[in-house]
Amino acid sequence: MADPQATAAAHATEGGHATVRTYINVAIALAVITAVEVASLYIPGIPSGLLVSSLLLMSAVKFFLVVGFFMHLRYDHPILRALFVGPLIIAILIILAVMALFSAFVLLPRVVL
Amino acid sequence: MATQAAFMPGTKVETLTFWGTVASWLTTVDHKRIGILYGTSAFIFFLVGGIEALIMRLQLARPDNTLVGAERFNELFTMHGTTMIFLAVMPLSAAFFNYMIPLLIGARDVAFPRLNALSYWIFLSGALLLNSSWLFGMAPDGGWFGYANLTTTQFSPRHTIDFWMLGLQILGISSMLAGFNFLVTIINMRAPGMTLMRMPVFVWMSFVTQFLLVLAFPAITVALILLMFDRFFGTLFYAPAAGGDPLLWQHLFWIFGHPEVYILILPAMGIVSEVLPTFARKPLFGAPVVIYSGIMIGFFGFGVWSHHMFSVGMGPVADAAFSVSTMLIAVPTGVKILNWIGTLWGGSIRFRTPLYFALGFIAMFTMGGLSGVMHASPPVDLQQTDSYFVVAHFHYVLFGGSIFGLFGGIYYWWPKISGKMLDERLGLWHFWLMLLGFNMTFFPQHYLGLIGMPRRIYTYAGDLGWNFWNMVSTIGAFLIAVSLLFFIANVFRSLRSGAVAGNDPWDARTLEWSIPSPPPVYNFARVPQVQDRDDFWLAKHGDGHGGAPRPKAAPVTAAEIAAIHMPPTSYWPIVLAIALTVMVSGLLISTYQIIIGGLATLVLMYKFAMELHRPASGHGH
Amino acid sequence: MADHAVAHAVHDPNIGNTGLDNRKMGMWAFLGSDCMFFGSLIGTYLAYKGKSISGPLPHDVFDIPLTSYSAALLLASSLTMVLALAALQQSRVKAAGGWLFVTAMLGLHFVLNQVYEFTTFVLHHGLKLSTSLFGSSFFVLTGFHGAHVTGGVIWLLILVSLAMRGQLDARDYTKVEITGLYWHFVDIVWVAIFTVIYLIP
Repeated sequence: MADPQATAAAHATEGGHATVRTYINVAIALAVITAVEVASLYIPGIPSGLLVSSLLLMSAVKFFLVVGFFMHLRYDHPILRALFVGPLIIAILIILAVMALFSAFVLLPRVVL
Repeated sequence: MATQAAFMPGTKVETLTFWGTVASWLTTVDHKRIGILYGTSAFIFFLVGGIEALIMRLQLARPDNTLVGAERFNELFTMHGTTMIFLAVMPLSAAFFNYMIPLLIGARDVAFPRLNALSYWIFLSGALLLNSSWLFGMAPDGGWFGYANLTTTQFSPRHTIDFWMLGLQILGISSMLAGFNFLVTIINMRAPGMTLMRMPVFVWMSFVTQFLLVLAFPAITVALILLMFDRFFGTLFYAPAAGGDPLLWQHLFWIFGHPEVYILILPAMGIVSEVLPTFARKPLFGAPVVIYSGIMIGFFGFGVWSHHMFSVGMGPVADAAFSVSTMLIAVPTGVKILNWIGTLWGGSIRFRTPLYFALGFIAMFTMGGLSGVMHASPPVDLQQTDSYFVVAHFHYVLFGGSIFGLFGGIYYWWPKISGKMLDERLGLWHFWLMLLGFNMTFFPQHYLGLIGMPRRIYTYAGDLGWNFWNMVSTIGAFLIAVSLLFFIANVFRSLRSGAVAGNDPWDARTLEWSIPSPPPVYNFARVPQVQDRDDFWLAKHGDGHGGAPRPKAAPVTAAEIAAIHMPPTSYWPIVLAIALTVMVSGLLISTYQIIIGGLATLVLMYKFAMELHRPASGHGH
Repeated sequence: MADHAVAHAVHDPNIGNTGLDNRKMGMWAFLGSDCMFFGSLIGTYLAYKGKSISGPLPHDVFDIPLTSYSAALLLASSLTMVLALAALQQSRVKAAGGWLFVTAMLGLHFVLNQVYEFTTFVLHHGLKLSTSLFGSSFFVLTGFHGAHVTGGVIWLLILVSLAMRGQLDARDYTKVEITGLYWHFVDIVWVAIFTVIYLIP
């Protein structure tokens, strides 16, 4: 569900520095995605699985837009990416493990956890 | 250790008065002095923790003993564990991070000298807060792992748990600040030519340890915050009656706790990886593999935590998953042990005290690792958990491993730090008595655990068959104490009249041995230009393949030294650390103290941050 | 690269052998650590989701329009933050100070919204820290995020004050940059919290 404006903003500044134009495009993209997220709550009869996965996906896009452009990680030295993304991955894995251990979602439907 | 007057290179060295000397230590931002502060404090707390252990061993020497009662015994094992882990082993490792890392990477300083000082003073404040509990009759008594909901106000209404909780929070801040500092130092302050793979293995193990520090401590910070809110603000995180789950504590604690044990062992492994090559006159066997193994241990160490919880009823899937991951993590550890042995094999061995401790580490840690692998099987662990078998296991890895390794580091780097040699004979008395005493204390505990003696009991009946080996264990503990007397005597003798060490008494391999002992405040008069791993050895001896030793460089000039800028002292670190502790301990005293301490902390953080912003002198940025 | 970095270091003691500023690197390491902090809090919330035995349910009390507005405020403040940094780089100090002030005000507005939200929960819905697992985990998670925002607002206002007193200019680019990194992080944590706590049923 890639937002066309986000993609345009991404391609506009390959390597080098983001411009004010880019920042404003990203901000518009963030606003639009947020609006879509909130609106999707009110779609009648939307299946829960579809709602949850699309909300998570849209949030992930917002997350990476801010990290990549506003926080400049897209243009920065790889070591900074490693310093942030590594811990982020560990944190996400631990959240998922804790959720599974507390039966927040069912990992293996036939097995009693 | 020679007291160094704090001076700027090129200026006249002034002799300080007594209070001037004290002030110079309180305001120091020199990583070497901070290392000495950490090391001295850590050793003192090691003795405190040791006394707590001796009292426990005296109580357990005979059945139905009445030296201390149950409550006091709970306090003793809680404080012994907390002290040894947070106030002895970790700061001893920190002492070496502080003193040695800049020297090993060819740097003049750490990335954030004042933050570094702040870490130490926050550590000391937390340590003193924790131990002040003894004076108030409020020593923590919930175990070093503080399981909920024993630690909630329902079952622990007194302030004992609060001292533990707040002390650990303060210590956690110290560890994390230090972690950020050394992460940046190692990545960004290396000498030219020192690529990551040319860094000494001690630096690599410390590097992994810093990642573990900054990623594991947030989990215990949250666990403690939830406990604090339960105890002070009525939240329900660990309240079963409201649907809360005490296992939440256990998970959050061990998500911290397991990486923590790697924090405790990796630096010692790094020390061993420096000592063996020096005393075998051979490079570390498979250094890249040892480095990758260390990285794997660090990363996968986040995936094994519930092996501390095999008996709580997580179910077969969780048990199996953590069992498998735990067994897998033994592999990189085993790889390292093989590489250390490979380093010794075919080497030209010189037996000196540092090497003895490194060899002791390998033997004792391997034994501890074997009992650890046994724990990795849930059905086997169901018998072993909460028994003395576990106590034996972790003392083999933490004492036989970390402590032996750290003593190896002390004997190895003492000449560099103090400029004097330690006596070899006293060192060997220390080693052999400690090895004997250690094994006498803890080897029988494997057996005691297997025949059913539980942990954390203050006494036992006389007809269970436990009497003899408990007595043996206690005698062993006192032998350890005697061995330490030899160490302390050695230290005093060395400081008073030890042989002068010179730059490179061991004919070693790494950069710290290329500068005077003790090093000048600026470490390296000339920034080293590194061409290889073990660059100093290659410069001295050539590469053994026909490459000649490097020609000696021209002597350093006074002008070069005068051009070196070292950061000035600062009193904000110690003052900020005090304010922070006043604020945190206010939770035990009064809200006013929290508010005043909090405001002071905020103001002092501002002053700390602004100290280098547009200063009058040229030192700021 | 190493020689260039050495030459750099002669001028700026903060630049290391990677060519990066120590303080920027330190801030990214801190943000990685903060991911684990918020990850533990979010994990706790999700572990206890749906397990409260009494008290109001999340979707009985959540005011999605208000919280969406708050989310928009923080996202906007990230934009104003990068505009402040861009202005500073061009030595337009007054513009930079202005954008920093707007950023702080947007953040302050977020915090005030949160205070309003917390007050409504307590007074109108009877949801307190001690009411239920939901009350405990919600207030602690969002409260600590709010505390992070508050700290950021204070930090931003200090920079504004420095700018107004002529003590901030293009030389301080890195300091303002790391302020921005912290601020954006606080924003993306809210992106996660907003979705996972408020939006997902």
